[in-house]
Amino acid sequence: MPNSVGKRFKPTKYIPVSTAATLLVGSTTLFFVFTCPWLTKAISPAVPLYNGVVFLFVLANFSMATFMDPGIFPRADEDEDKDDDFRAPLYKNVEIKGIQVRMKWCATCHFYRPPRCSHCSVCDTCVEDFDHHCPWVNNCIGRRNYRYFFLFLLSLSIHMVGVFSFGLLFVLHHMEQLGTLHTTVTLMVMCIAGLFFIPVVGLTGFHMVLVARGRTTNEQVTGKFRGGVNPFTRGCCGNIKYVLCAPLAPRYTGVDPRKKSPVSIQPPFIRPDLSDKLISIRVNDNGIHTSILRSKSKISLDGLALDEKGLDTQPPLPPKADRYTQLKSQLTSSEDSSLSGKTHPSTPAMYKYRPSFGTIPKVHYHAAGEKIEMPDKTSAILEEGRCHVDYRSEPNLDLPDYRNAPLHRAFQSSPLQLDSYPVNSRSLSLKQAHQRKDKSQLPETVTSTPYKSVFSPNTLSSRNGSLSYDSLLNPSISPAPVAECMAHPGMPSVGIHSPYLPTKTCHVRGPELQSQRQQVPPSFSPVLGSRGLGMGRSQSPHPQDRDPSPVRYDNLSKTIMASIQERKEMEEREKFQLLHHGGHSQAQDSGMFDSPSGYGLPPSACYSDGPRGPSSRGPTPPAYGGSRDNLMGVGVVNYGPRTPMLRSSGGSSLVRAPRNSSSSLHTDSNMQGSRAPEAPYRSPAHQPNHSPAMPHSPSYTHQKLSFIHALERTDSPRLGGPRDAMMQSKVNGQTDYHLGPNGSSAQGTPSRHSNVKKVTGVGGTTYEISV
Amino acid sequence: MATEFHNLQELRHSASLATKVFIQRDYSEGTVCRFQTKFPSELDSRIERTLLEDTVKTLNTYYAEAEKMGGQSYMEGCLACATAYIIFLCMETHYEKVLKKISGYIQEQNEKIYAPRGLLLTDPIERGMRVMEVSVFEDRGSSGSSLSSSATSGGSAQR
Repeated sequence: MPNSVGKRFKPTKYIPVSTAATLLVGSTTLFFVFTCPWLTKAISPAVPLYNGVVFLFVLANFSMATFMDPGIFPRADEDEDKDDDFRAPLYKNVEIKGIQVRMKWCATCHFYRPPRCSHCSVCDTCVEDFDHHCPWVNNCIGRRNYRYFFLFLLSLSIHMVGVFSFGLLFVLHHMEQLGTLHTTVTLMVMCIAGLFFIPVVGLTGFHMVLVARGRTTNEQVTGKFRGGVNPFTRGCCGNIKYVLCAPLAPRYTGVDPRKKSPVSIQPPFIRPDLSDKLISIRVNDNGIHTSILRSKSKISLDGLALDEKGLDTQPPLPPKADRYTQLKSQLTSSEDSSLSGKTHPSTPAMYKYRPSFGTIPKVHYHAAGEKIEMPDKTSAILEEGRCHVDYRSEPNLDLPDYRNAPLHRAFQSSPLQLDSYPVNSRSLSLKQAHQRKDKSQLPETVTSTPYKSVFSPNTLSSRNGSLSYDSLLNPSISPAPVAECMAHPGMPSVGIHSPYLPTKTCHVRGPELQSQRQQVPPSFSPVLGSRGLGMGRSQSPHPQDRDPSPVRYDNLSKTIMASIQERKEMEEREKFQLLHHGGHSQAQDSGMFDSPSGYGLPPSACYSDGPRGPSSRGPTPPAYGGSRDNLMGVGVVNYGPRTPMLRSSGGSSLVRAPRNSSSSLHTDSNMQGSRAPEAPYRSPAHQPNHSPAMPHSPSYTHQKLSFIHALERTDSPRLGGPRDAMMQSKVNGQTDYHLGPNGSSAQGTPSRHSNVKKVTGVGGTTYEISV
Repeated sequence: MATEFHNLQELRHSASLATKVFIQRDYSEGTVCRFQTKFPSELDSRIERTLLEDTVKTLNTYYAEAEKMGGQSYMEGCLACATAYIIFLCMETHYEKVLKKISGYIQEQNEKIYAPRGLLLTDPIERGMRVMEVSVFEDRGSSGSSLSSSATSGGSAQR
């Protein structure tokens, strides 16, 4: 059976072309047979010759216009439109010679129509430089065959004029024999020519004007450039030249993937030398972010070491050229920047660098994964004490480059501010260790013993509140907001060992830093604990379980990162406030951290479908996604071990649309569908209000999904609250995906105030996060 | 469990397609075929900036040459007209010749530069000249899981 409905044989569409062809060929033949012999005798043999040539020209152009591919675009591959299809804005603007031109998304062909391209409903294809669909040739007129169509019109007009004229000549000489066959036929031919003369010549004149102006019929009829400037014009002469003399454009359809010898791609792959380049930062799933820092930021680590001395300076540093002060200023500035949710375009918001704390060498940072080199390195580093670990090939002891991006700052701030002297060195070294590992850390999966050993000093130390947060949520997400301090390791997470003083973790805030610094590390815990609660959110370890793709997160757009950062900031702020209230209680809470109990949702389930990263076209990634991640702070310690198992199961239910996050945003049907599988996971309370929101989770990247799971995992009493909040934020984020993260983040945070969640940092520490 | 999977996968070191990066057309000069020379950030860790930019710039010059409205294209048009376009059955147009050159160039670039880095350029003609596709591969063995694929999963490939 022929494939689609559209391909069914429709005889009606061939009527005009058959009629045209019949009339053309028939009339001309009659003319040649009945009129030309006399003309040859009476005038000259050149007449039929001339007419013959013109007629041949007409036929050739008619055939080319009819049978030539007008410039049909093949449908876009699945891969190409993956990120665009569901969340693509309908129009995309592009500037052509200074004029804004809108490119419309073609839902049939799955790409943004290039300028001047239009979709022909008759042919059901997008055609390049679409002029119109001509029924008389039963073909679209586009870039490739416009010239032939135009020449056909010209030649047909000339032909008709010629036939009519010579027929008139004949008739005038045979007025007395009007009844004869020849005369009758000639009269008939003249009538046909005269009848179609007006439309054809009219159309020819119309196209001559179009050619002179450099417009297509489509543009003229739709009035695109009415009163405006046509960016495609080359001037009158240039336009005429373009139509008549341009090379024949190539065919796009029917291109076989040339039979070239297939190129074999075998690892190992050469990697560019990153020492000189900007490196993106990745977060390891265990919360230890190994970031490929920008070269400058790498230096920042060195600066951190140096900074130890400057620790006791006031956080708000006076602007001085002094390196240390610069560091400090950077710290503060990083706070600011992080708080502002600024995302440096080139430095992914997820800087998730978390200095690994030397004191926790045994921590299995990663639950999973290949990248568990960290612990080894960490211990090595620890032993080194203050030695600076080489970052890749570079000893990062260079002076930090303060002018770096916020990411850079974030880094600096965390170690500097939090740690007391001894800690500093450790953190510094840890950081360096992380840096080294950055590359390898890619798939960060939380190890199977997350809660135990997963204390991720990273999370703790990430000052960037986002850092720790990120590690929990998703290694790749490490928004710059450094300001947050992670849950202090001091919070004694039961089971976690985190001898590592939480104090070391990041309190970016100046005043806090100072106080921290001055205290004995152990004593920090209660204090920090309170503070750290806020950070705790970042500690949600469970994201680490997922298969992370921190790198994917990196690819998220800035809006997402910004939204994540904002969310985190807000949460941190709230937590911070709570800390003041919570005090010790929170710290004690940490013991119970995890109760992943029944939440079997494998956050990683979604990852498999996570977007690979924003496509080049990807339109605004939903800020919602970002905010979701932020909310995730709930730590699910046990998540790790369960994750692998759950992953598959979860994946099936959670992962829904083939398209990633975009799908959730776009289609209600998707949402509905996604809701269903999620139903079991969510508390009933959520059902009602999240229909729009829920679906999002699965469709979003894994990070987002994990976020949802994280929420579910939170203490049951709090389920409703945080989730609602989350949902709200999700919904809001969703609808507002064009907007910044602000909206979503704002919504999520307020509701979580009262809850204290235990979040397991990647390093295995549990943090109390006041939600 | 995850680790098990990883172990198994680590046994095989083959490349799997991780993601595709698309280099879009540059319409700033009209509908002339040009591709953006802006370096996609996803490839930051996979290939040097200059290499890709050079490739794109070379391709742009090829396309400019193909679309040039000079004497050759004019003569071709006249000849075609004179022969009632029968000449198209016998002869290759100028554009098609340049496309063949482009195809050879891309093939060569792939073999020399991109494949060793785990990338693969797709001839834009296969996508209707709308976009240039760069397929990013990663070392499946070291990555351990396709789930963690990403354009920047360089680390795994380094194993």
